[in-house]
Amino acid sequence: MNTRHDEDWIRRATALLDRSAEDLDAATLSRLNRARQAALDERRRVPRRWIWSAAFAGAAAAVFAVAIGLHRRVDAPAPQALQAGDIDVLTNDDDVDLYENLDFYAWLGAQRKDTNG
Amino acid sequence: MAAQISLMTAFDDGRMERSAGEEMRALETFLRGVERRALRMAELATGNREEALDLVQEAMLGFVRHYGTHDGAEWPPLFWRVLDSRLNDWHRRQRVRGRWWSRPADARGDDEDDAIAAAPDPREPGPLARLADGEASIALDAALRGLPLRQRQAFLLRLWEGLDVAATATAMRCSEGSVKTHLSRALTNLRRALEEHR
Repeated sequence: MNTRHDEDWIRRATALLDRSAEDLDAATLSRLNRARQAALDERRRVPRRWIWSAAFAGAAAAVFAVAIGLHRRVDAPAPQALQAGDIDVLTNDDDVDLYENLDFYAWLGAQRKDTNG
Repeated sequence: MAAQISLMTAFDDGRMERSAGEEMRALETFLRGVERRALRMAELATGNREEALDLVQEAMLGFVRHYGTHDGAEWPPLFWRVLDSRLNDWHRRQRVRGRWWSRPADARGDDEDDAIAAAPDPREPGPLARLADGEASIALDAALRGLPLRQRQAFLLRLWEGLDVAATATAMRCSEGSVKTHLSRALTNLRRALEEHR
């Protein structure tokens, strides 16, 4: 779009702008320096904010996990206490089949009594 | 084992410290590199150095807050974008306060699109050529201040700051086609304004 004609005056214009930016007075340069330092201080504060946010998020997650754990513990059915009979069965060396068919053996015993009687 | 872990932690901390230090130095170098041109850009927009300094400070703060953690290669268009946004806000406030004055560039209207009227005379050496540096600088400042904000920003970002069309579009929050249009009009208006100073 730019013609050769344009290029000449644009080059001079940008050179003049460069010079105007270089020739700033000391007071202005001091203000710019303060502005830059204020911005950099802001940047230095950013990681600290990030750390506090992360710490807060971590603490919140920990509290949530503990709350969930407690909730589950309360809801879970408590294991039922073993009955004395159960302990006998478990510790006895008798055949387990005998206990499983106890009703059958009781009925068989009754039949024999009837037959004998 | 504990000593080994302690040493490793110390090494990692040191590396992180160095990394953060390098990042801060890179950020400072970048800001130092753009601050003077940013001030001149703001000064051309406001016509007032104090207000320009305030705007540059706001732009620096906004830039480090929002984009300081971005990759350094992305910083230039993002910094100019923040400054451009501040300049737009400033202009909006001025309009609201009624301190906005009608400028020659605004009053030209359709004439700025007249290609024949805008075409440069090839026999002429071009605007600024016959002016000494001091006069040329004053004439250029006046011509730039006379441009509408978007045209001036397109000229300064694209031709002075040297951003490419895409980066200029990012900085100005507009399409690449709009950048080209603003720049073309800026060149036409600047040439015409500078020729009046011969």
